[in-house]
Amino acid sequence: MEPILMIESLKKYYGKSANQTKALNGITFQVMPGEFLGIMGSSGSGKSTLLNCIATVTAPTGGSITMKGRQIHSLKGAALADYRGKEVGYLFQNFELLDNLTGQENILLPLSLHHVTEKESKVRLEQLVSYLEIKDVLNKFPSQMSGGQKQRVAAARALILHPHIILADEPTGALDSKNAKALMEKLTGLNVDANATILMVTHDPNAASYCKRILFIQDGAIFHELRRNIPDESKQAFYERILKVTAQLGGGSAHVL
Amino acid sequence: MFSKLISRNSRRNRKENGLFFSSLLISIIAFYIILALSHQDVVVFLTKLESDAVNRLLSMIPVFYGMALFILFFLIYFASKYQLERRRHEFGVYLMMGMRRTRLFALLLAEDLRNSVVSLAIGLPAAVLLSELISLITARLVGIGIVSHRISFSFSAFVWTAAGFLLIKFIAFLILSGKICRQEIGSLLVELPDGSKKQLSAWIYALAIVAGMSLLAAAYSMSISGKAWSRYEQMGITILLGLAGTLLFFWGLRVLIGLALKAGRGNRPLSVFNFRQIQETVMYRSGSLAVCSLLILASLCCFGAGVAITRFYGDSEPHVLDYTFHRTQNEHTAEDIKKALTAHQLDTCFDELFEIRVGLIRNGIDRTDRTAPFQIAPLMDALRMSPPSNDRDVLMHNLSYADDPYLISLSGYNQLLRAAGLPTLTLESNEAAIYIDHDFCSAEKCRLLNSILETKLETRLNENICYLVGSVQTTNLVTDRSITLSFALIVPDEVFESATLGNYSVYLNGILTKELTEHESLMSAISDMNDKLDNTGLSYESYLKNMGRQLFYMVAAGYITIYLAIIFLIIANTVIGTQFLMGQQKSDRRYRTLVRLGATYETLCRSAKTQIHWYFGIPAAVAVFSSIFGVRALFTGILPSSVKSNLLEMMLISATMIFALCVIEWIYIIAVKRTSDRYLLKLMIPKREE
Repeated sequence: MEPILMIESLKKYYGKSANQTKALNGITFQVMPGEFLGIMGSSGSGKSTLLNCIATVTAPTGGSITMKGRQIHSLKGAALADYRGKEVGYLFQNFELLDNLTGQENILLPLSLHHVTEKESKVRLEQLVSYLEIKDVLNKFPSQMSGGQKQRVAAARALILHPHIILADEPTGALDSKNAKALMEKLTGLNVDANATILMVTHDPNAASYCKRILFIQDGAIFHELRRNIPDESKQAFYERILKVTAQLGGGSAHVL
Repeated sequence: MFSKLISRNSRRNRKENGLFFSSLLISIIAFYIILALSHQDVVVFLTKLESDAVNRLLSMIPVFYGMALFILFFLIYFASKYQLERRRHEFGVYLMMGMRRTRLFALLLAEDLRNSVVSLAIGLPAAVLLSELISLITARLVGIGIVSHRISFSFSAFVWTAAGFLLIKFIAFLILSGKICRQEIGSLLVELPDGSKKQLSAWIYALAIVAGMSLLAAAYSMSISGKAWSRYEQMGITILLGLAGTLLFFWGLRVLIGLALKAGRGNRPLSVFNFRQIQETVMYRSGSLAVCSLLILASLCCFGAGVAITRFYGDSEPHVLDYTFHRTQNEHTAEDIKKALTAHQLDTCFDELFEIRVGLIRNGIDRTDRTAPFQIAPLMDALRMSPPSNDRDVLMHNLSYADDPYLISLSGYNQLLRAAGLPTLTLESNEAAIYIDHDFCSAEKCRLLNSILETKLETRLNENICYLVGSVQTTNLVTDRSITLSFALIVPDEVFESATLGNYSVYLNGILTKELTEHESLMSAISDMNDKLDNTGLSYESYLKNMGRQLFYMVAAGYITIYLAIIFLIIANTVIGTQFLMGQQKSDRRYRTLVRLGATYETLCRSAKTQIHWYFGIPAAVAVFSSIFGVRALFTGILPSSVKSNLLEMMLISATMIFALCVIEWIYIIAVKRTSDRYLLKLMIPKREE
C-alpha cells in the first residue's frame, strides 16, 4: 500500500548560524491510509512546526514532504490553495471558527473557496452533521455554542471536502475532559468507520491513547515510536505505555541517558 | 534610545498609514486656503468694487475657520484612533517591559508632535502653492487680467493654520492617548473583537427601515415644496425628520442585508463571508455610517447646488452698455451731464451717449383714484385662452398687477437697440411695444407672449385705443443690473411726452469708443475711466461695478459651497476608510483562518474589495439618491424666482457635479483597496504560533 504522506529528512532551522534553532532536525516518517497517527512531544520540541510544514504554513529549510506522490514544496498559487483546503483538513486548537458566520456557513466556507457547489456536498454535509451531532447548532453563531460543539463544527468544516488527511493541532487543548473525550471518540469513529487518515499533534496522553501509532519528538528529531496492538491492547494499557514514555521525555531521558 | 524610538515610530506611522497622513495634509491645506481667502486676486479685485459686501464675507472667515476646525477635529480624531488602535499590542509590550504610563504618554506625545511638524513642513508649502494656483485660475476664469497678480502668501494665515492644526491634533491626541494609557495591559495585548450586541426581531428592523424612509420622504417633500423654508421652526422640524429618517434607515438596514444573504447564496468564493462582514459592519456601526452618509449628502448638495448657483450668477446677459449717468443736483438734464463730460474732455471717450427716458403715466389721471391707466384685461384674456402651462400661470400672475406700467420713450430705446445690434422698432402713435426685463421673462414666456402679440391686441392706454405690437423687448435699459422693470410699455416720443407730462427719469447711457476698448482690455478701459469720472463728481454706474457684484455672488457662493463640499467629503471618506481598515485588522484571525482553509491572496483581495465597495457604496448610494432631492430642495430655498424656469438645466449641472464628486469618492476607494491589499499580503506570511 502506498503511503499517503511521506516525510523525508525534514529540516526547519530558525535564525542565523551563530544562534540557530533547529526546530526540525531531519525527521523521516510515513503515514499510511486510514492511519490515526499521534505526534507527541514537550513544548518547543518541534511538533507544531512539523504540522505547520505539512500544512504549508511554514516552508521547511530542507528535506521533502510528499502527499499522495506529489512534492508539496513545488506547489504554487492556486494549486497550493487547493492543497490547503482540499487535500488537507485542518483542525485548530482554538477552533478558529469565523465568529460572524453561523455553524452551517462555517462548515460550507471551504466549498465556496474551492468552487464546489453546495449541492455536490449536500449528502456529505448531512452525514457529517448527523455523525457529529451538530444539527441543533447549524444556525447558531459560534458565540452561542459550547466548546465541544464549536470543535465538532470545526471538524465538520475540516472534513467537508474529503481531504486525504486531517491535521489536528491539539484539538482537545481548549476543551474540558468530557468534551475532549466526546471529540476523540468521534475522531476515532471517523478513522475506524470512514477510514479517515488523521495526523494529530498533542501533549495530552489521554487524547493520544486514541491513536493507533504515536511518534515522540524531542529537539526536532524522532525520539521514540509506540504502536497500539489492536485489538489486543486496551486503550487504558496503551495510555499507561504512553505515560511511561512521556515521563522519560519530560526530562527523564536527559538524566537517564 | 528614547529619541531613536520616537523617530523610528513616527517614520513608520507615516509610511504605514498614507491615508492618515494625507488626511492631515488635506486639513492643513483646507485651513490655509480659507484663511488666505482675503489675499486671493479675485477677492482683492472685489474689495475695490464692493468693499462692504466683501468685508462682510471676510468677517465671516473666522466663523468658517472655527467650523473647519470643529469638523476637521473629527477627521483627525478618527484617523488618529485608527493609528493608535493598530499599535495596541505594541503599547502593551512597552508597559509589560516596565515602561511607566507617563513615559508611554510622553513617547506618544513626542511621536505625534514629530508627525505634526513633518505634516506642517510638507502641508504648508503645498497649501501656499495651491492657494496661489487657485488665485491664478479663478482670476483667469473670471477674466480680471487688470489686477496684476500678487503673491497671495498670507503670514497670518500661515500662523493660524499651524496653530489651529496643532491645537486640534493635540486635543485629539489627549483624548485618545489618555484612553490608551489608562487601559489594562492585558486588554492592550489581546485583540478585542467587537462585542456581540443583542439582536432584536427582524420585524423591528424592517419597521425601522419603513419608518426611516417615510420620515425622509416627509423631510424632502417639506423642503422641496418650500414649506421648510417659510419659518425657522419648520426648517428645524425638516432637519430633525431627515436626521431621524437617515439614522433609522441605517439602523434597520441589516434586515435587508440579511435578506440579500438568504437570496443570493451564490457560489462565488467567500460570498457568504463578505455578506456577513458587511452585515456586521452595518450592525455595529450603523450610527457612524449614517453620519458619514449625511456628510457625503451635505457635500454633494453643497457642491451640486453651489456650482449650479454660481453658474446662474455668472450667466450674464449680453453686454451692451458701459456706463449709465444719473441726474444729480448740479446736472439736471442729459445736456448738463454731457456738458460736464465735455468740460473734463471725456466726451470723446464715448462712441455714443444717449438718453433713456422712463416715467409713469400722469396725464388725466388722478393718482389717488383707482382707475387703471392701462387696460391689461385683453392681454390677460388672450393668455387665459392659450394652452395651459406653468409659464402661462406665472405670466398671468405677474401681469395681473401691470395696469399702471412705466412708459419708455421709443427714440432712446431704439438707440439702445442699435447699440446692441438689434433691429429697431417702428410704432404708430396708437401703438405700443411690451418691455419685460430679462429676469422676468424666460424664452418660453417670451414665445408665448409673442404669439399673442401677433394678433395686434387692442387695449386702452390712458383712455385711448392702443394696439400692442411687435415682439417682447428685453434689452437692459441701464448698466445697473439691479434696476429692472417687470412690465413696461415702449411708446412713441410724443405719446410719452404727453402721457408723462414731462415728469420722467432720464438715464444717460454711454458706450466707450472702440479704440479705447481695443487698445486695452474692456476691464482696464472701464477701470481707468472710472478713475477719471470720479474727479468729475458725476453720478454714474459702470459695467465693471455690475460685474463686480455678479462676481461677488459667484465667489461667495462658489468658494464657500465648494470648500465645504470638499471638507465634508474628505471627512466622510476618511472616517469610512479608517473604520473599514480598523475592522479589517480586528478580523485578522478570520483572514488567517481563511488562508489556512485554502484562500489565495487574490481571493482575499477580491473579498476585501467587495466589502470595500459595499462599505463605501451603502452610505454613498444613499447620499447620492438623497442628494437629488436635497439639491432640488436647496434650489427651492435659495434661488430667486427668475431662474426657477431653468431648474431642469440647473439640476443637470448639479448632477454632473455630483458625478464629478463620485469620481473623487472612487479615488478614495482605490486608496483604501491598496492599503487593504498591502495588509492582506502581510497576513499571507504565517505567524508563528507556539
